[in-house]
Amino acid sequence: MRTDHQGSGRGASASRPAGPGSGGTSPEPRPSYADRLADRLGSGSIGGLLGKLLFLGVVNAGALYAVMTLLPMRAWAPLAVVVVATLALDVIYLSKRTLPMKFLIPGTIALLVFQVYPVLYTGYIGFTNYGTGNVLTQEQAVGRIVADSITVPDGATRYGSRPLVDDDGELALLLTDPEGQRFLGTVDGLTELTDTDVVGEGAATRVVDRFSPLTLGEAADREAEVLGFAVPVTDPDALDEGERGDAISVQTFTSAAVAIQRFEYDPATDTILDLETGTEFTPTEGTYTAVDGTTLSPGYRDVIGWTNYERVLTSPAIRGPFLRVFLWTFAFAVLSVVSSFVMGLGFALALNDPRMRFRRVTRSLLIVPYALPSFMTALVWQGLLNTSFGPINRLFNLSTPWLTSQAYAGALPKFSVLLVNLWLGFGYMFLITTGALQAMPDDVKEAARVDGASGWQILQRITLPLLLVAVGPLLIASFAFNFNNFNVVFLLTGGGPPIQGTLTPAGHTDILISYSYRLAFQGGRGQDFGLAAAVSSIIFVLVAIFSWIGFKRTGTLEEIN
Amino acid sequence: MSNYRKWFAALPAAALILTACGGADEPAEEADASEEPTETEEAEEPEDDAEAEEPEGDAEEEEEAAPVRADADLVIWADDTRAPVITPFAEAFGEEQGITVAVQEVPFDTIRDNVSIQGPAGQGPDVFIGAHDWLGQLVSDGVVAPLDLAGASDAYLDVALQAFAFDGTNYGLPYSIENIGLVRNTELAPEAPATLDEMIEVGLASVEAGDADIPVGWQQNDPFHNYWVVTGAGGYVFGQQDDGSYVADDIGIDSEGGLRAAELFGEMYDQGFVNPDVTYDVMIDAFASGRTPFAVTGPWALAEFSDVDYVVEPFPSVDGNEPGPFVGVQGFMVSSFAENELAARTFVLDFMGAEDAQLELFEAGGRPPALTSAYEQVQDDPVVAGFGAAGEDGRPMPAISEMGSVWEAWTNAYTNINSGNDPDAAFQEAADQIRELIGT
Repeated sequence: MRTDHQGSGRGASASRPAGPGSGGTSPEPRPSYADRLADRLGSGSIGGLLGKLLFLGVVNAGALYAVMTLLPMRAWAPLAVVVVATLALDVIYLSKRTLPMKFLIPGTIALLVFQVYPVLYTGYIGFTNYGTGNVLTQEQAVGRIVADSITVPDGATRYGSRPLVDDDGELALLLTDPEGQRFLGTVDGLTELTDTDVVGEGAATRVVDRFSPLTLGEAADREAEVLGFAVPVTDPDALDEGERGDAISVQTFTSAAVAIQRFEYDPATDTILDLETGTEFTPTEGTYTAVDGTTLSPGYRDVIGWTNYERVLTSPAIRGPFLRVFLWTFAFAVLSVVSSFVMGLGFALALNDPRMRFRRVTRSLLIVPYALPSFMTALVWQGLLNTSFGPINRLFNLSTPWLTSQAYAGALPKFSVLLVNLWLGFGYMFLITTGALQAMPDDVKEAARVDGASGWQILQRITLPLLLVAVGPLLIASFAFNFNNFNVVFLLTGGGPPIQGTLTPAGHTDILISYSYRLAFQGGRGQDFGLAAAVSSIIFVLVAIFSWIGFKRTGTLEEIN
Repeated sequence: MSNYRKWFAALPAAALILTACGGADEPAEEADASEEPTETEEAEEPEDDAEAEEPEGDAEEEEEAAPVRADADLVIWADDTRAPVITPFAEAFGEEQGITVAVQEVPFDTIRDNVSIQGPAGQGPDVFIGAHDWLGQLVSDGVVAPLDLAGASDAYLDVALQAFAFDGTNYGLPYSIENIGLVRNTELAPEAPATLDEMIEVGLASVEAGDADIPVGWQQNDPFHNYWVVTGAGGYVFGQQDDGSYVADDIGIDSEGGLRAAELFGEMYDQGFVNPDVTYDVMIDAFASGRTPFAVTGPWALAEFSDVDYVVEPFPSVDGNEPGPFVGVQGFMVSSFAENELAARTFVLDFMGAEDAQLELFEAGGRPPALTSAYEQVQDDPVVAGFGAAGEDGRPMPAISEMGSVWEAWTNAYTNINSGNDPDAAFQEAADQIRELIGT
């Protein structure tokens, strides 16, 4: 939120355009070629044209880079978006007839990319099982299940190994068993080697006058082939009798052993077969599952419908503390906004009075808490409020458990969180109310004073309503921000102290976002992005509703005005 | 009148549109989905305290974009302490084999999540270092490849091998082990306490005599630093099978021994021996200034203790049993999305399993090596020997992903005990919550 507001502030000052090149307005009898070109391309002057071309050049270069990155990834959808958006920008800025679009399009594109897309994507993730155990695509998961099932059984003979290659590029292995006996392994099987079969050392080694060593670099270039290379060792007669064919394969560049594959994938039926037991696994909501319920790991990302949303709303574990947490979240957001607004307004009114001395210095100092990163300050406050060792308790010789008291539903820690948030937030309110007060015309107040209104009446009847019109939307934004003020809660109390007797861990100062963070990332079996996204979407809807109501209310205020 | 003034005006217009439509809700949401996962570990896994010492560093990491695979045949991800040690080995390997190698520095805490995300996207490493308790997530995500230690397995400490075995399959080549121990100020407590009761007595006495500010520097409400008392009392977190692997169905927090541990913590709180306000910083401060006789901590804290005379030793017996803390093991793992699996496996097994590599990693990181022959060579260092002895009865930290449900609930249980609530009920509640979380 902070950056948003700062952004609009900067925007306001930047809208006073000036600068080099803007002076070329004197009428010229005959436009030069450059100016005519500039005119045709929708720019008034050659300077403007250059600036525009530079801008479009940067945009197109960026787009080109994005295309180069996305193309090998085969990310068609983002690719299409980048291309279409860039072309649209080019057309709009190089054409004379699209003036209104020039103002609208950058904002619209940014809105779609940075606001609409994340919201929709979050909503979509809420419908998937994305999270620990389900991060791969289905294809990747199948690949892992099959590859990981290839193992060297206990007690298998392990060979020292050296991959070899002949002049035709055919692979072979030079194998050394634990007794030091050397073999040549080819696709046809093992051949015992005598000392005369191997000539030379290191890279110059020649085996049976046909094969020479493959370097790791060469092996890396044809890795799939090398890793898949198998030297059959089972007696062909036994094979005929239906015994499984064992084969020696490369384990590392310098070792090889017989490895056994357990799972096999059948693309035709999309099932995985357990070669040991004959069990079949079929894909079910992101996991290959057998009839008896056993599953194969890893699972894959899949759309699972409303399951996550249902869990949030119906699971007793989640629903249990949900209402308390929700009420506290609401109270936290409202009280934070109200308290910091009142305090900020108080300072602003006081410092708006010309009789006050050192106004500039005081104003600058008041902004400090707001200007410091809340990451740092929340941690500092945590130290200050430590019961036994915190400077605050030491200074006043207290032993008040500011952040840990469980009495009265954690009233004291709740108060501390609000206090710290007030400290962090009043500077912002002070800033915006100061701005609004300075922009307010004095004559209205003057008139009221002439009519005999007291200072309090002027504040109540004139200043405040006028002020609220200006800062109302910012208060709503501030509410929305505090509704999700993860930093302060998480860094100050971690949501604690714990509420006793709940089905899942929850704390007295937990707000919705910190509570769902714990649920999604510190509970269950790891990270659950799907659940987190579902909760986030629900919170988004809640905040949207509150904001909408709020905006309607400020709309009424404006009508009074 | 030039047109580009209008153009100029379009910039703030764009900004305004963004602001007006932007509300304040979405940024928080995005952060929720994309960034916060990395925090899990910082907040919950105390064994990462070494890294957590610099809060600024952590804050920066959050801003950092995910690391992207370097352009080389073999890419290794390691933290800033290990990367410089690994680099010469990797270069030697590359030269020997005629391939290009790159060692990328990635903050330790972020390696796990980045491997899970960047690996399947084709931007991950071939080899990465990490802690064994990441395996629960990495294996179920399918982003770490089994590593066949082959004949080399006898060469490593048992606890290290146990740690990297997940579901009976080995997934890493261990290079160091770490655990907490008892750090004792030899001036304030000249004799090693034989029992927990003795330790409590000495601690309380030195506070009473005015020699110390706190009876013990022991980070509270923290299951990691408290586990030795639990094992001493006969409790456990998850049941273990004969091969050391953990069983998620068997939660031992409310077992007889677990409840006995709860009782002990209740007593220690009542006596004023442990204090929930003792954080890592308070512990460091008190011990480094000689104002507490004991510190319950690991090798990461020792750099701060240069001004006091101390020894590192095993924890005193609890109820007559030798207690064992959690043991963390670090190792090299091969990504299952390695572009160069063969080179990765070869490098890890042939180069990083070598004695000189393990010894150099020890010198850089201060954690005892996992290779038995290297471990024995560093035993004349009293600190290493002290932590080694303290970890002798240790249990590898459970790597199963169900452990994720334990930290929060158990921390809350200790918080409840350290607020004067009934210890039995606290542990019982934690166990129930964990069952609930695992069940859902």
